[in-house]
Amino acid sequence: MKNLNKLIIIFALAVSATCFAQEYKFGKVSKEELLESSYPLDSTVNAAILYESKQIYYDYTAEQGFVLITEVFKRIKLYNKNGFDHASAEVFLYDGNGAEEKISGLTGITYSISGGAIVETKLKKDGVFKVEDSDYIDKVSFTMPAIKEGSVIEYKYKIMSPFSRSIDRIVLQYDIPIKKIEVSLTIPEYYTFRKLTTGFLPINLKESSESQTKFINGSTLSYGVTKYKINTNNVPAFKMEPYSGNYKNYISTLSFELQSTQFPYSNIRNYVTTWGAIARGAFKDSRFGGAMDNNKYFKNDIDQLVSGISNPREKTTLIYNYVKDKITWNNRNALVPRKNMKKVYQEGVGNAAEINLMLIAMLKYVKVNVKPILVTSSDRPLSLFPTIQGLDYVIARVRIKDDIFFLDATDKYGEPNVLPDRVIHGLGRVITERGNSEMVLFRPSEISKKQNLVMCEIGNDGSVRGKQRINHTFYEAHDFRMQNASKKEDELVKRLEDFYGLQNISEYKVSNIENIGEPVLESFAFETTDEVEVIEDEMFFSPLLFLRNKENIFKSDNRQYPVDMGYGLSKSCSMNIKIPEGYQVIEKPEDMAFQLPENIGSFVFRMNIVGNMIQLSVSETLSSPLVIEKYYPALKKFYDLLIEKESDQVVLKKT
Amino acid sequence: MQKKSLKLLVVCILLIFSKVSSQEEINLNTSSVDGTLLEGANAIVRSEEIVIEINSINSMTIKTKRIVTVLDKFGDGYANYSEGYDPSRKIKKLQVIVYDASGKEIKNYKKKDFIDRSVYDGISLMNDNRVKLLDYTPVSYPYTMAFESEVQNSTTAFIAPWYPVPGYKIGVQKSSYKILNPKAIPLRIKETNFEGYQIQKNKTNEEVLYSISNVLAKRPEVYTPSLYDMIPIVKVVPKSFSLEGIKGSATDWKSLGKWEYDNLIAGRDQLPKETIEEIDKLVSKAKNKREKAKLIYKYVQDKTRYISIQLGIGGLMPFLASDVDKWGYGDCKALTNYTKALLDSQNILSYYTELYAGNEKRSIDKEFASIEGNHVILNIPDENGDIWLECTNQTLPFDFIGSFTDDRDVLVLKPEGGEIKRTRKYEPRENVLQTTATVNLGIDNSMVSNIKREARGLEYDEIYGIQYQEPKEQKLYYKKHWAYINGLEIKDIKFVDNKDSIVFTENIKVSCVSYGKKAGTRLLVTPNVFSCDQSNLPMYDNRQTSLVIPRGYINTDEYSINIPTGYVINNIPEKKAIQTEFGEYTYELEKVSESQIKFRRFLKIIDGTFPKEKYEEYRKFRAKIKKADNSRIVLKKQLTNE
Repeated sequence: MKNLNKLIIIFALAVSATCFAQEYKFGKVSKEELLESSYPLDSTVNAAILYESKQIYYDYTAEQGFVLITEVFKRIKLYNKNGFDHASAEVFLYDGNGAEEKISGLTGITYSISGGAIVETKLKKDGVFKVEDSDYIDKVSFTMPAIKEGSVIEYKYKIMSPFSRSIDRIVLQYDIPIKKIEVSLTIPEYYTFRKLTTGFLPINLKESSESQTKFINGSTLSYGVTKYKINTNNVPAFKMEPYSGNYKNYISTLSFELQSTQFPYSNIRNYVTTWGAIARGAFKDSRFGGAMDNNKYFKNDIDQLVSGISNPREKTTLIYNYVKDKITWNNRNALVPRKNMKKVYQEGVGNAAEINLMLIAMLKYVKVNVKPILVTSSDRPLSLFPTIQGLDYVIARVRIKDDIFFLDATDKYGEPNVLPDRVIHGLGRVITERGNSEMVLFRPSEISKKQNLVMCEIGNDGSVRGKQRINHTFYEAHDFRMQNASKKEDELVKRLEDFYGLQNISEYKVSNIENIGEPVLESFAFETTDEVEVIEDEMFFSPLLFLRNKENIFKSDNRQYPVDMGYGLSKSCSMNIKIPEGYQVIEKPEDMAFQLPENIGSFVFRMNIVGNMIQLSVSETLSSPLVIEKYYPALKKFYDLLIEKESDQVVLKKT
Repeated sequence: MQKKSLKLLVVCILLIFSKVSSQEEINLNTSSVDGTLLEGANAIVRSEEIVIEINSINSMTIKTKRIVTVLDKFGDGYANYSEGYDPSRKIKKLQVIVYDASGKEIKNYKKKDFIDRSVYDGISLMNDNRVKLLDYTPVSYPYTMAFESEVQNSTTAFIAPWYPVPGYKIGVQKSSYKILNPKAIPLRIKETNFEGYQIQKNKTNEEVLYSISNVLAKRPEVYTPSLYDMIPIVKVVPKSFSLEGIKGSATDWKSLGKWEYDNLIAGRDQLPKETIEEIDKLVSKAKNKREKAKLIYKYVQDKTRYISIQLGIGGLMPFLASDVDKWGYGDCKALTNYTKALLDSQNILSYYTELYAGNEKRSIDKEFASIEGNHVILNIPDENGDIWLECTNQTLPFDFIGSFTDDRDVLVLKPEGGEIKRTRKYEPRENVLQTTATVNLGIDNSMVSNIKREARGLEYDEIYGIQYQEPKEQKLYYKKHWAYINGLEIKDIKFVDNKDSIVFTENIKVSCVSYGKKAGTRLLVTPNVFSCDQSNLPMYDNRQTSLVIPRGYINTDEYSINIPTGYVINNIPEKKAIQTEFGEYTYELEKVSESQIKFRRFLKIIDGTFPKEKYEEYRKFRAKIKKADNSRIVLKKQLTNE
């Protein structure tokens, strides 16, 4: 009975919601909207999108054929001064290849309440600015006039794009909440698109068909259209969290990727249908496939480089290092070369596709079993479905017997199977000429290590003097090189002093920075008076001294998407501490070990006393590079506990 | 606080970097560089020649030839191969040649190879300055870049000063600066910070020449004077000049200020009748000038917002007050001019004031008049001293400018001429953060506390913005602020912002599950729960620059700490007191009862400039404070008769 009542109430609410659903018409802002003093679902919000409408459709003109029209209408509530940034907006227009996008009908109104009446102020030309941002991009920016706390602003505009085959990604979530968003797309039967979504919020997409008739130059054109509609209420704001990898995977968006076109009396033109088609297309593409086959420009050099070598592994290493040394990455991700490969080779600068396709071409040339991997880097949202728009990077995969090596020659500090961040946070697909393909995840299963070894001695005054060695392996060594390889010694020392809160590090040495593939080794001597506290005839200290974790990197109480560290890491500390003469250990922390669920991570703390030596071994392992949000509270607690444990005290007493 | 800038800043930067030349052969092989120049350097200016030819007061040509060897990736920024332009600056020639370490040419860029961009300053909604730059990827280090440009400028009001040392960690082999003045147009010249540098000079009516050689790379240090106070600078201004077609002449701040007032500011203050009537009504009950000004300032804060739009005459002329009135937004110039117009309508005298804004106190050069600065504020002379108004901020209290524009020389533009004034200085005794707390320690190691902090002066400036952040951000702020307390939970946050007395009060409830540390029968506790100094000043082998403490302050703490039942306090450590010329510190514990101790801390830091030898003393002072702050006491478990 109770349940039935509940059901009725829900039903009634649903009905009333439909009955009184607000109509949003440009120019008709209600007094209620103006008087609303805070966002009903979260009173701390500074601004909210009250309504957004985006209508995307095709128009037919005799001169240009089909053009893509996007009509945008936004109504934004500015609850307080901190929301005022949302009173300005920017629109980017593409201008290139002899065609350009055009904006029209930009209209805006600011509404405020003054003396009980609604005051309207229109956006005038003097609040709109257009500037050529770069060769291909024009920027139109505008800012709304006469805004006050509580104002509602509205603006609308229309973009006409001759690039009818590409529909911009539709963003369905912002850094402020949305009360209502309506998106509609009307796509003529001549175009076939595939839909792709990202984000953790449900997207309610409705699809229907109808027909349209256009009158052009006195004749009529009738065709079927597919309509897509999204109508969503109360979309929460997107919050950025640390250690997210690529946050673009978690913002709600919808995109449409062209599959094919077929116009009347024309043949079907396929753009992309399947991974197989993408793979075959890539190999057939003169820029992509061509770059892998062209070996004229490097033939002599490579013949010389590998002359007399038959071992494929050796050949691979030689060629990989050769490309890494010879060509410098220009910081551009790319799926296809932009420049002539010979020119890239001569100039020694290239984008990701140029460099890695050259690597593949060379490996192919010396008969190493190599295949390209198409990659969605961490700059793009991932898609599990075949998509060419989502791909923006290429790397190489070499197979030698049962061993597989991923190679990215854009990264000067890379090595086989050690890839840059932009790749490991992304996703790959290895492709073959015959159209076979397979998904590839790059996050390594092997755990990287940072091992600390400390030998030290406590003085009678509580000062600590000793030596430390740090051993960085695998990805940890790669990251060390990325961050520190170009630094001078004093900067390397300062980095450690800042990290540990020490003031005088001496005898600093670092080795293997240039020997990529080897662990990086650091060693130094230290002296500190901050770690051991002398109170009367007792001494107190954490046996990890300055190496203990002091701050939990996870501070938010909850989280809506995964923690993505890129690779698993084990940090260990091995400490040998000599206690001062005339003192003995009277209290020591107990040994302890704990784990995260599903082998995500573990912590071990063990301590022994042998004569006047304290021997301590602590290890902290996060083996899983990606931790789903469900385990976030456990992860946060894990760090709380280990910080707590690492601050446990040893007590020495004068005998 | 967000940084706000005039286009002037952008113009100046572009000018600074657009340096000129013709030079004798230099050996481009990197191995030829003197080893001492390489020490601590990311890059070396091998040779720089700037030749500025003043053809007339509305035409000058700037020729720059600059050869820079970049030693590592941190030096890439010093290779600087861009040139700015705008309607009055035309680029006539632009060329870059890149050489490898052996001096072999590897790349040659002509003007057409440069990318053309709108200047993106990170702030402006609109900016009509443009820049031509290169998309160059260094292929190996070291490399040498030879840049050459020629720029024709019809504005002579700004002549790029000579800054031969462009920054830290860059050595200068040689650099020269030549002004050719064939018409013998009278020039004013100012040399700054020449001491300690080998500088040759030669001045005639038709030619001015400065050159410097072998300047070693400067190491960046903490608490130093501004770079502008340490590196040599030559400023040159013609007595008669032109600014985008407006002619002028000036010899001192009075005359330059008058020219700026007449040509850029005057007559832009008309307001609609309705607005004046509204203001009349608004201030009708106010008793005096200060009260009226305060009401008008609040009116501006409520009605307008800051939007940076850099258009028009050198980005120097404010929009019309009537436009701001209509639009409700403007940049620092427009909003200051608008506020001034509103004050004028009530016969309150105020002055448009140009200055350098930013946390670093950079002064307008009071001895040498030239158009400079990057921000505008408003000055109201008052019998009790000057009132300063920051018109771009919607939340600052009246007559409170904070560390953004405090304590520096500024140019006040009066109708009768310019005048240098100094903005308000916040003394240590005014910048006070008072923390009081009740701390309850539990037998289970937990800690629960109610904290109250009151901030005044610059301490107010530092913290008051927290109230405008979202609750999640506020919590994260406190968690980061007290990051040394593991597992800190922020239970409740309440703020009281008294903008009249300029006091910001935070009432915060916090807890954590394990504050105390058990070791056998002992419980270790840090009595200084909320003011532990976490700083770590670096130690220098050989400090090179004076010690500058830019601002002073006073922090006081008083906590009542209730210890858990079953524990006793054996010995209370002695009071610690440190007195130095940089300030004083005391740390004191008092046993109030068997179950309560009182913690008191006092820290006063005095601002000032001290000789470089004093740095180590200051470092030790701070290290001692840190050690005392983090010290612990031992509570012992009471032995019970069981």
